[in-house]
Amino acid sequence: MNKEHPSWLGRFWAVVRYEMLWNIRKKMFLGALLFAFVFATLNLALPGYFGLSENPYFVITFSAGNLTFILFAIVTGMHSISGEYEKGTVVPLLTKPVSRTMVFLGKLFAIFLVILVTYTVLFTYTIIGSIIVYGPQNSLYLAPLSLIGDVISTFIWVSVVLAAGAISKNSLIAILTAFGLFIALVLGGGIIGQLSDNPQALNYIPGTGATGTLNIIGGENITIGNISINTLSAVATGTDSIGNNLIKAVLYPNSEVGFYHQNIFNLTAPARLLYTEPIGLIALRSIGVAVLYTAVFLFVAWFAFKRWQILE
Amino acid sequence: MPFWCVAVDLAIETIDLTKQYGSLTAVNKLNLRVECGSIHGFLGPNGAGKSTTIKILVGLLKATQGSAKVLGQEVHVDQADARLSIGYMPELPRFPNHLKGAELLDVYGRMYGMNPQERQTQIPRLIDLVGLKGRENDLIGKYSKGMQQRIGIAQALLNNPQLVILDEPSIGLDPVGMVEVRELVKAISKEGMTVFVSSHLLYEVEQICSHVTIINRGQALVSDTLETVSQMISGPTVMQVEVVNLSGATVAAVKALSPVKEATKSGNMLNVSLSTREDVRAEVSQAITKSGGIIVGMTQKGHSLEDVFIQLINKRQEGSAQ
Ligand SMILES: Nc1ncnc2c1ncn2[C@@H]1O[C@H](COP(=O)(O)OP(=O)(O)OP(=O)(O)O)[C@@H](O)[C@H]1O
Ligand SMILES: [Mg+2]
Repeated sequence: MNKEHPSWLGRFWAVVRYEMLWNIRKKMFLGALLFAFVFATLNLALPGYFGLSENPYFVITFSAGNLTFILFAIVTGMHSISGEYEKGTVVPLLTKPVSRTMVFLGKLFAIFLVILVTYTVLFTYTIIGSIIVYGPQNSLYLAPLSLIGDVISTFIWVSVVLAAGAISKNSLIAILTAFGLFIALVLGGGIIGQLSDNPQALNYIPGTGATGTLNIIGGENITIGNISINTLSAVATGTDSIGNNLIKAVLYPNSEVGFYHQNIFNLTAPARLLYTEPIGLIALRSIGVAVLYTAVFLFVAWFAFKRWQILE
Repeated sequence: MPFWCVAVDLAIETIDLTKQYGSLTAVNKLNLRVECGSIHGFLGPNGAGKSTTIKILVGLLKATQGSAKVLGQEVHVDQADARLSIGYMPELPRFPNHLKGAELLDVYGRMYGMNPQERQTQIPRLIDLVGLKGRENDLIGKYSKGMQQRIGIAQALLNNPQLVILDEPSIGLDPVGMVEVRELVKAISKEGMTVFVSSHLLYEVEQICSHVTIINRGQALVSDTLETVSQMISGPTVMQVEVVNLSGATVAAVKALSPVKEATKSGNMLNVSLSTREDVRAEVSQAITKSGGIIVGMTQKGHSLEDVFIQLINKRQEGSAQ
């Protein structure tokens, strides 16, 4: 049979299909989806339960949350490289006329699509739910920024999972590495944020980042016990809050965020101002940091995958 | 001769191909020449280096030394375009469990750049050909080992390749399946494809191949047409059966079996010479028992690959001694 030379794009798309079918049929994926919806539902209902009646800012301060990021990253990414090796399915795959780079990019794109679609459904659910629970919402048109931010935040962890999987050829190691790193950063970041006079360091590692207060009037106070948080003026600078910070930067382009040191052993003492930063800078910097980490880990994953010898 | 053979007359050519796993040499200076349009059997016992050689040919492994050409092109790891005209069935292939048989072929077909019409005609044809009709919409995870083997053959033929490389295609199949695979290999060869098929069963290779390479410990012992190799492996295979109650009727019954050339009686020993290398012990013992004989011992010589190796190695040594 005399064949035309097949296009790169056609073959790439075949890999995307292959990976998508795999991804959405995983039981773990359905589990993660369930978790995300339970989380979103609790998010919708709990503040109301603590006595908040109206919140027109709910949608634009909503984020799927860092636990969702790591979960979806693990569930979509854990098998895509290392699992092919463990199951032996990599042998027939890599002997098709698709290069390893194409396989890698196709799988990555499939993961992106799956996460994008899932988050879109999740955000739609949140928007509708919040209108029902909290009444009409402000600045709804900004919700996509939050969605994009959450996808970027998730991809840091996707790249970690892929890199660990490609190096170790072992899904369990991939999961444990990503989850271990996540826990270490959450704990470490929390401790540094509380105790250090130098929380800026947290801007450069994935996670929550430093926490500060936006100098604006507005938002809604959530009071639980005797701690009160304003949903709009509370700012976390890390890669987990890219979407929320982007929205704040659009809403209040000239506002500044103040960072304070609070002695946690003496809560009655006044907080000491450490420094201030424009919200726009915070948002852009966290995107830059996220993209950089993602790029580095993806490069490592691709490089390791490219050099695999298929012994099994 | 298929048209592409004009450009390359060797579908596979390796020069001093060597692969080492640490200190173990799995393939040792192998020189392989597979003619275009042939069915080439790659025969060797377990651990001979068959799969390792094949994995180098399809770009899964990197050779330690030497070079390999497939369809006239130098082989390198990760050369996507070169694989457009090669079909490969891995040894004991494993496919994603969550895909249905037809889905697998569809998504692989897309990777070959087949358009929807090509896929629509080719996929049902192949499913039929490998005997999976009616099961194509079941998940591969629910396939038996033999069915996975069959879908493995189907995916190797998907792109109407010029060269089909099958790594032990009949392993794990029932006797009927084994016969079907042999017929299939003959059929695809008639369509003009070159077939390179590995096996550790001598009689299987004898039945389908036009050329044979026999490999042991990574080295080719012999590589020639089937005819020449058959002549080198001297004499018919013989079977000796020790029978209590050995009667003339028993001898006649054994003689009447189709793979039996001659059966003679000496004391309580029945000497049977066979026209096949296939394992026919079951058939012979049934005939003996039915005719009233009681078997107390049975050996078959010239049947196993080991026998052939010993013969070939001895021949070599004789050759070098002279
Ligand atoms: N990943 C590996 N690491 C180390 N040694 C290996 C590896 N794979 C194969 N070998 C060794 O290389 C030699 C050749 O193995 P290979 O799989 O090529 O044999 P084979 O002829 O295909 O055998 P079989 O009939 O059992 O499939 C064997 O001695 C085997 O132990
Ligand atoms: Mg093998």
